[in-house]
Amino acid sequence: MKTKSLINRKVQLAFSSAIFILLFMGAMSYRGFLVSTESDRWVRHTHEVLENLQNLLSEMRSIESSYRGFVITGNEQFLNVYHGSVLHSQEEETIIRGLTVDNPQQNRHLPALESSIAQIIQYGDMVIGVRRAKGFEGGVDAIRGGPGQTIMDEFQEVVHEMQEEERRLLVLRDVDAKRRLGQIRAVLILGIVVGLLIAVAAGWSVQRENSRRATAEEGFRVSEEKLKLLLDGVQDYAIFMLDPQGQVASWNAGAERIKGYRAKEILGQNYSCFFTQEDIERGRPEEILRVTAAIGRHEEQAIRVRKDGSQFLASVTFTALRDMDGNLRGYSEISHDLSESKEAGAKYRGLLEAAPDAIVVVNQGGEIVLLNMQAEKQFGYHRDELVGQKVTNIIPEGFAERLIADDLRSVEEALAQQIGTGIELSGRRKDGSEFPIEIMLSPLKSAEGILVTAAIRDISVRKGAEKHLAQMEGRYRGLLEAAPDAMVVVNQGGGIVLLNVQAEKQFGYRRDELVGQKVTNIIPEGFAERLIADGTRSAAEALAQQIGTGIELSGRRKDGSEFPIEIMLSPLESPEGILVTAAIRDISERKQSEEHLVKTVAELKRSNDELQQFAYVASHDLQEPLRMVASYTQLLAQRYKGRLDSDADEFIAYAVDGSNRMQGLIQDLLAYSRAGTNGKALHKISSENALQEALANLRATMEESSAVVTHDLLPAITMDETQLVQLFQNLVGNAIKYRGAEAPHVHVSAAKNGGSEWIFCVRDNGMGIDPQYFERIFVIFQRLHGREEFKGTGIGLAICKKIIERVGGRIWVESQLEKGSIFSFALPAGDEK
Amino acid sequence: MESIGTNAAAIEVLLVEDSPGDVRLTREAFKDAKVHINLHVAADGAEAMAFLGREGQHVNSPRPDLILLDLNLPKKDGRQVLEEIKESPTLKSIPVVILTTSESEADIVRSYMLHANCYISKPVDLNGFLDVVKSIDNFWLSVVKLPHKTRE
Repeated sequence: MKTKSLINRKVQLAFSSAIFILLFMGAMSYRGFLVSTESDRWVRHTHEVLENLQNLLSEMRSIESSYRGFVITGNEQFLNVYHGSVLHSQEEETIIRGLTVDNPQQNRHLPALESSIAQIIQYGDMVIGVRRAKGFEGGVDAIRGGPGQTIMDEFQEVVHEMQEEERRLLVLRDVDAKRRLGQIRAVLILGIVVGLLIAVAAGWSVQRENSRRATAEEGFRVSEEKLKLLLDGVQDYAIFMLDPQGQVASWNAGAERIKGYRAKEILGQNYSCFFTQEDIERGRPEEILRVTAAIGRHEEQAIRVRKDGSQFLASVTFTALRDMDGNLRGYSEISHDLSESKEAGAKYRGLLEAAPDAIVVVNQGGEIVLLNMQAEKQFGYHRDELVGQKVTNIIPEGFAERLIADDLRSVEEALAQQIGTGIELSGRRKDGSEFPIEIMLSPLKSAEGILVTAAIRDISVRKGAEKHLAQMEGRYRGLLEAAPDAMVVVNQGGGIVLLNVQAEKQFGYRRDELVGQKVTNIIPEGFAERLIADGTRSAAEALAQQIGTGIELSGRRKDGSEFPIEIMLSPLESPEGILVTAAIRDISERKQSEEHLVKTVAELKRSNDELQQFAYVASHDLQEPLRMVASYTQLLAQRYKGRLDSDADEFIAYAVDGSNRMQGLIQDLLAYSRAGTNGKALHKISSENALQEALANLRATMEESSAVVTHDLLPAITMDETQLVQLFQNLVGNAIKYRGAEAPHVHVSAAKNGGSEWIFCVRDNGMGIDPQYFERIFVIFQRLHGREEFKGTGIGLAICKKIIERVGGRIWVESQLEKGSIFSFALPAGDEK
Repeated sequence: MESIGTNAAAIEVLLVEDSPGDVRLTREAFKDAKVHINLHVAADGAEAMAFLGREGQHVNSPRPDLILLDLNLPKKDGRQVLEEIKESPTLKSIPVVILTTSESEADIVRSYMLHANCYISKPVDLNGFLDVVKSIDNFWLSVVKLPHKTRE
């Protein structure tokens, strides 16, 4: 289409340019014509002027000759001529004047001309007068001596000039005209040439187009003929075209033969008439066209209906036909009656043989029509031993009956019921042995009616596995029943699938009352939700979160009473999905003892706190009155020293002493109670630093007794720093206090015990301790020496013991009298490196 | 900024202490003081605040130059008194010496947090106590410059 309009446009263009050029050329020609005409006019004009000038000249000559003649002859005749010429010359002059009126050049000559003429005439008159007067001799003299010739010459000169002028003008005009004409001619020639070119081009274009179309049409016609030849030659295949709506647009001999319609009957009809009624109702014809249009082609094997209503199996191929622009122009259908096809049969046979299962094709009479190699193998027969035999030979029961079309149902119906399902039957080999098989049926339409293809699979192995599985299942069931805990198996919907006898007992239900019920009946909350595979996690994941952990929930008995339970979940895969086995334990007792424990602990804690509080407050509040007693007795002693008798002094001394001691005891008690309560959080500290601090606190004592304290490298441990200082201070202080004869030597060391404890040792060279007192010395206020011997209240070691036991360590002593002592304490290593 | 001795006026000391025994001891200890001291006594926290606020019977009481404050007092507790003194714009400039039997870390920290000027644990023995009071006398009343009495 595009090219056509292009051609049109070209032609239009050509024609309009041609017309334009013609018009132009016409204009040019007209112009030329005008120029020519003008030129002619000028020429005529010039000639006219020249002629008149010539006339004038001849008149003047005539004048001259006439008066000369008169002079010579004296004939009056000459005077007639003379006067006539004079008249004529004046006429001529007037004419010339008129002709040259627009020519300024010529106009210039006119006065000269006029004057010359006048002079000549004057002279002539004169001469004539003279002749008349003087006769011949006078006249001759007059002529001879006169300016007549000169005047004549002048006159002729002017005339010549004017003539020249006129000629020159003519030449100029001529040239000009020629030039203009030349231009016009050039333009005309150009126009002609261009016009010709356009005409030629247009003509040639059109010509080409036409020839092309002619060839195309020719070619088309030829190919159409060929096609027709081809199509009609094919008898075995129906090849025809449908328009985009499915109306039959072409037909061939093969289509006529296969489908039964003649061309003129079918053209224009919708192709759905080839389909079965069911297919038409299902909308199959339209669907096929849609699919073909979308994908480009479609193949199928399906039932088609002939004109006479008979059905046949056809192999049909549809192709969508599109033009160069991609628009759908229609469809082509090629179909083939399969019942005639040997090739289909061969393909089918090939498939059959290659199948991994045994395949047996049975007709409606229950006879074997076809079988494959696998079937031969499975049943142990040779092919020809089975073909034509009843299928009951190899499948004694269950198959043949299923196929029989009886009064109640057609073959199709019978078949339809079987299609796709795997039916378990028993197969019999040639040797008589039977084995379990599974058959899958599918229909096969053939010329002889409907055949049934049975795919037969030997399922002995599977059966064995199934049996094994059933055994396992039985065992599992046994386990379940025997379990000491209640076991409940729940599916993903939260329904109880299985339970054991313990579960019955615990919940007070009978088994059948619970199976199939929701597990929420016995475990109202906390269980079912945990299992649900919801949008956020799959069943497996949900389960994975629960596996292994004991979850405490509440169980509900049949009578409605609730009791605490602990459930442990484990997954169980089954064909129906993932099941959950829940082991349910009644933890009522455990709960009770737990509660009891918690209560007891709380009780203890409370009482402990009270005790601590009491100890602290008591010590604190006891201080005050004690201070009063001590202070005032001392004041008494000081103020009244010497003013009372010695008994009084002694009494006062005892009183003061007593109160001082009391104060000491209370201080120590306070310290002891603080050792238990004031313990701060344990930190990683340097025991070395703690020792140094303790030694700093003991400096005075050390100096007094010249004590030397050494130590090994001491570790970093997790301990309360203040208390560790206290610990070291007490132990080293004791080592110095309970010295022997020599200066005290104390050595502190530490060693790791198997990775779990640090054992510190404070070794001294003091007086040693009698082994029988190894335990007693750690008891509060227990001393081995009197007050007189050694100061102290006996609380130091008790405090040490309390401190150490608070962090889970232990303290003990090794010693020999006179040989020094080693006080050791163990502290848990904690989690330092 | 006058020093204590120059103007010959006595130093007003408020002792807030509930134990009469301790009051007497303190008085005895101050007998040897270098400077003339007027010792005023409040037996509980409420009376101490009344004295400082010049309320009721204390309307003519002088403003103390130094306060010795026990922590464990009946009625209003010594800690409360400390807090109130140090929050009052008129009273907060008076140095407060905590003089108490408590040695607990918690009390020490708390007292300093409440801006006590210093914390002294009463020694249990007589001589120790007397020495402490003498130290207070030496330090707070001799060495230290107390704030000039502001016009009231």
